[in-house]
Amino acid sequence: MVASRENFPLLAELLAEQQRLDTPVARFSTTVDRTLPAAPGTRHASLLPLSRPGPGEQYAFEVDLDACSGCKSCVAACHSLNGLDEAETWREVGLLLSPDAGHPFAQTVTAACHHCAEPACLHGCPVLAYEKDPITGIVRHLDDQCIGCSYCILKCPYDVPKYSARLGIVRKCDLCHGRLAAGEAPACAQACPTQAIRIVTVPAGGAADGGRFLPAAPDPGYTRPTTRYLSRRGLPPNLVAADAATLRVQPAHWPLVVLLTAFPAAVGCSLAAALRSGGTVVGTEDVKLAAVVFGAAGLAASGFHLGQPRRAWRIFLGWRRSWLSREALLCGGWFGLAVAALVFPAITLVAAAVGLAGLACSAMIYVDTRRHFWRAGQTFPRFFGTAALVAAGLLVPWAAALILIALLAWEHRTRAPDDVSARLQRGPLRRLVAVRTGLGLAGAVLLAIGPGPGTLAVVLAAELAGRLLYFRAVDAPKMPGLPTA
Amino acid sequence: MSLSLDSLLHARTGPMTGELLQQPADFGLGRLPVRLHPAATATTVCGYCSTGCGLQVHLGADGAALNLGADPAYPVNLGMACPKGWEALTPLAASDRATVPLLRDATSGRLAPVSWPQALAAFVARFKGIQQKHGPHAIAFLSTGQIVTEEMALLGALFKFGMGGLHCDSNTRQCMATSHVAYKQSFGFDAPPFTYADLEESDALVFIGANPCIAHPILWQRVQMNRRSPAIIVIDPRVTETAQAATLHLTPHPKSDLTLLYGLAHLLIARGRVDRAFAAAHTTGFEEFAAFVRDFTPARVSATTGIEEAGLLRLADILTQRERVSFWWTMGVNQSHEATRTAQAIINLALLTGQIGRPGTGANSITGQCNAMGSRLFGNATSLLGGYDFAVASHRAQVARTLGLPAGCIPEETGYAYDEILDAVERGEIRGLWVIATNPAHSWIHQRRVREIFGRLDFLVVQDMYTTTETARLADLVLPAAGWGEKEGVLINSERRIGLTRKVARPPGQALSDFAIFQLVAEAWGCGELFRGWSSPAAVFQLLKELSRGQPCDFTGIRDYEHLEAEGGIQWPCTEAPAGIGGGGEVRIDAARQPAIGRVAPSSGTHRRLFADGRFFHPDGRARFLFDPPRPLPEPADQSYPFLLLTGRGSSAQWHTGSRTDKSAVLRKLAPTVPTVEIHPDDATRLALVPGARVTVRSRRGTATAFVVVTATVARGQLFMPMHFPDVNRLTFPAFDPHSRQPAYKACAVTIEPDGEPGRDGAAPA
Repeated sequence: MVASRENFPLLAELLAEQQRLDTPVARFSTTVDRTLPAAPGTRHASLLPLSRPGPGEQYAFEVDLDACSGCKSCVAACHSLNGLDEAETWREVGLLLSPDAGHPFAQTVTAACHHCAEPACLHGCPVLAYEKDPITGIVRHLDDQCIGCSYCILKCPYDVPKYSARLGIVRKCDLCHGRLAAGEAPACAQACPTQAIRIVTVPAGGAADGGRFLPAAPDPGYTRPTTRYLSRRGLPPNLVAADAATLRVQPAHWPLVVLLTAFPAAVGCSLAAALRSGGTVVGTEDVKLAAVVFGAAGLAASGFHLGQPRRAWRIFLGWRRSWLSREALLCGGWFGLAVAALVFPAITLVAAAVGLAGLACSAMIYVDTRRHFWRAGQTFPRFFGTAALVAAGLLVPWAAALILIALLAWEHRTRAPDDVSARLQRGPLRRLVAVRTGLGLAGAVLLAIGPGPGTLAVVLAAELAGRLLYFRAVDAPKMPGLPTA
Repeated sequence: MSLSLDSLLHARTGPMTGELLQQPADFGLGRLPVRLHPAATATTVCGYCSTGCGLQVHLGADGAALNLGADPAYPVNLGMACPKGWEALTPLAASDRATVPLLRDATSGRLAPVSWPQALAAFVARFKGIQQKHGPHAIAFLSTGQIVTEEMALLGALFKFGMGGLHCDSNTRQCMATSHVAYKQSFGFDAPPFTYADLEESDALVFIGANPCIAHPILWQRVQMNRRSPAIIVIDPRVTETAQAATLHLTPHPKSDLTLLYGLAHLLIARGRVDRAFAAAHTTGFEEFAAFVRDFTPARVSATTGIEEAGLLRLADILTQRERVSFWWTMGVNQSHEATRTAQAIINLALLTGQIGRPGTGANSITGQCNAMGSRLFGNATSLLGGYDFAVASHRAQVARTLGLPAGCIPEETGYAYDEILDAVERGEIRGLWVIATNPAHSWIHQRRVREIFGRLDFLVVQDMYTTTETARLADLVLPAAGWGEKEGVLINSERRIGLTRKVARPPGQALSDFAIFQLVAEAWGCGELFRGWSSPAAVFQLLKELSRGQPCDFTGIRDYEHLEAEGGIQWPCTEAPAGIGGGGEVRIDAARQPAIGRVAPSSGTHRRLFADGRFFHPDGRARFLFDPPRPLPEPADQSYPFLLLTGRGSSAQWHTGSRTDKSAVLRKLAPTVPTVEIHPDDATRLALVPGARVTVRSRRGTATAFVVVTATVARGQLFMPMHFPDVNRLTFPAFDPHSRQPAYKACAVTIEPDGEPGRDGAAPA
């Protein structure tokens, strides 16, 4: 019977054979003739328009919803033929369902980048890492330009750009522009067994209203996506995304939480120093120093947010259209002024003014995403509220207590309606809401009874919790998805 | 100056841009990222479903796979693949691959690594010990439709001829046993008559209990290539993707399809649509059948099935008017308490209308697993190797002669079916079980009992690619197996096409092909002498050819693997003699295989169907009309369990118990990662269930937690759950078709109730 490898030569032989790829089968079944032509039509020129886009036109995806059988090969083929990372997909699929008993209907929806007429990603990018090709209209991403700030992810209403932790940058669908230029169809179109995806030329304006785009997709009026979804048999009314009811707690973005607490606090200190007439609780020089310390903390945190901080020197490039560039310029300017103000008291007021302007840019970064929870009416009070809270805490603590109570009350208004952010705050984020509220009330009490050594810590903790909630409870729009828990 | 400033400010090139930069990749592949450019390519047949697509593997300089695409020249899929095919290489690199044998340590109770000799010694000692104490038939194996034919044959031969075993079965019992039995009884041999080109050649396609859009997307592609403006009829209780694309969809009550099909036969006979000449010349039992269906009036059928008479009449109209009608069925038929008669009711429709043996016709079973037919023909379980009968002395002698074995080593009886093996384990009659490349602790019906039964085994051996399957976790011994892509052999697809699958990757650690493991077991067992001729898959292929000689599945005309490779797979029969048996014939192959696009159907050279001459495989050459009165559902919905639960495939990105597909991050994105249950809007409203709500689904046998999807694609009073989650089979009811012993996964009675902390979902307070 078997005892060891020695009296079992077959085992060694089989183990060696198992690792051998150069088998007799391999010898006859391997094609080494590189010059082999593609089978006629293999690259599917029939799925492409006959000519390049003319003036006022651009390329776009066209999806025949009637032909799409829901096999989802487009996603896997895009992943495979574009050499994407293991879990990286540039195309995604979702499901539209009819909630009506009279309409038994389920439609798979495939979506990649919509190569919008007004690409929000492009408009938001602080380093101009997005370009819209003037002829093809393809929205391309410059991978070596990207600093990994992820702002485009917040800006895109379709959740298209994807962050790669391996590279520290964002990547996305480029409509296989290289293949298109060579007369080959994009990977997804090549791979569709029912030819439901093709490339067409469309007027460069993109879709203007929901009726011309896709039911249950985000409002196309914002970015004017160019993808065309067609259905000859017609879609039933009231379609909903299969994941419409899913509550998705959004990423915390800790460096941004710290930045957006520390920077308003710094601006608050700057402001307090400038308004020192009211009589500060601590000395003006200490307040100015605190501004610089908070500012430095915020700037350091922001560095941690970037996937490619060494490329961040280009951040000014987008100042004409990106609030992120503007924030960076004004924050940087403020920091310089705040440091200078330590030596030259005369510029204290200027520093405070620039800081406030920078803070306004910070707020606009989020307002400009058009996410409801980040609307101006919520963002400005929160960001400036922190600054005012800190300034007042240094000048008139009882007023700071009132400001904090007012902020809590204002934030609480977002928890009553039946929108996504309200449901997130009542549901999975209810503990964070309790922490924010508890710390805020505690801070208000401490401020009201007279600030002690722990007051600043409690107030800052309350603001950190508030900022964390600001990020986690946002309603992030996306294309219809698959059923989820 | 401005140029250089621009290039400083805008990094349009660089290492990250270069990573994705595409260049022409040669080999006719078009443009690919440079780092994925192959040094060579090779075609291999996919190892998931029975469609049997050709995949074009891109090989690196070391001969190992870099990537893959769909083969544009393969006559099955014409350059297309489903997501499982595109991701076929990914599961090979999973971190939970079995790399060394694992033996359960008696003291710690844990699985611990052992050497191959130790593992084989334990295998032999434990199984022989069981046989000595409880008799030779106290060991059994459960195998698979997922390994190559040569491996199936060696396993079956080793177990029955070498190890003295009798009881063995495979997971094809769960998918194809019904078609096997139905064809065998009706045609005289397990012979699906069609070729995929029939999907393109039909004037009317009737899909019964089949959802090719999701389960066989590449076959749906072939339907889309049909240029005859076909009527597409779907018979399914759910409004599936396929049903939505149909020209006529009938929604019978679950498991009332047998009545529906008899009703159709009634209508066709009443309308004189019977091909009397064909029935007279090539069938027996038509008159009895006609008399039997006389009672299946539209009124009765409508009452039983819930389908309005108008719908029945419309379908009968289509079947009467269209020249070429083909019938296609899958698991909705096969997994039923009266599955075999239902499949035969479909066959009867084709026989009585003469819709068989011509282009675009046939009663056609779409198979499940990639090598279900290999298992049916050469698994040596129900049939003796090559489709022979264990009970017939001349068959045993023939097989023994071909294989050079003493005739006495071939058992004279057929062993237990899958469910009977488990019953025997429960009784203590079977004490040792060898599970190969299947996952019964997830997939078998009525899971709680399966787990209890497995606990009664003295020794459980699991041979698998992964140590983490639900079954491997229960094993006493885990044998690490190489998977698809790491070995060679042939698979036989739904249209009887024998295709070659080849080695393009090295398995991790000491994992070995199933073939090598069986060789080692044979040596260790002491019966290696019997299998000296079974030295490699290629050698066994030649043995299998000889076994097929003179059988309906005769493929002696196939020279070798190289021949298969050159022709893009070859359908059986393919005989050496010009005039084959049962409507076969020599293979005619197109010189230039057809490309995928402009969607030209391959000419008939690569596609052949059976029964063109009307001769079936029964000794009298006639097909049989077989029928029985319909029987009620074994477990209908009632007051306590008011819903009927249907189960089935969730998406084209998921395969069975997910042991492979769950390993791909891409595939995991293409389907819900949590169990879902679909419910009709009216039922959801009545029970106050909102989309995404967590619920408990309960049957008399167990419970499952799931998330609600509200959709009218399921009927009122019915629920649907995808089968890929282990909880689902805690619910299913263990009913079996009496002829095929196939489990009836498709219907059982359940309740559904909310389950979840109030307010957790953030719903507005009342």
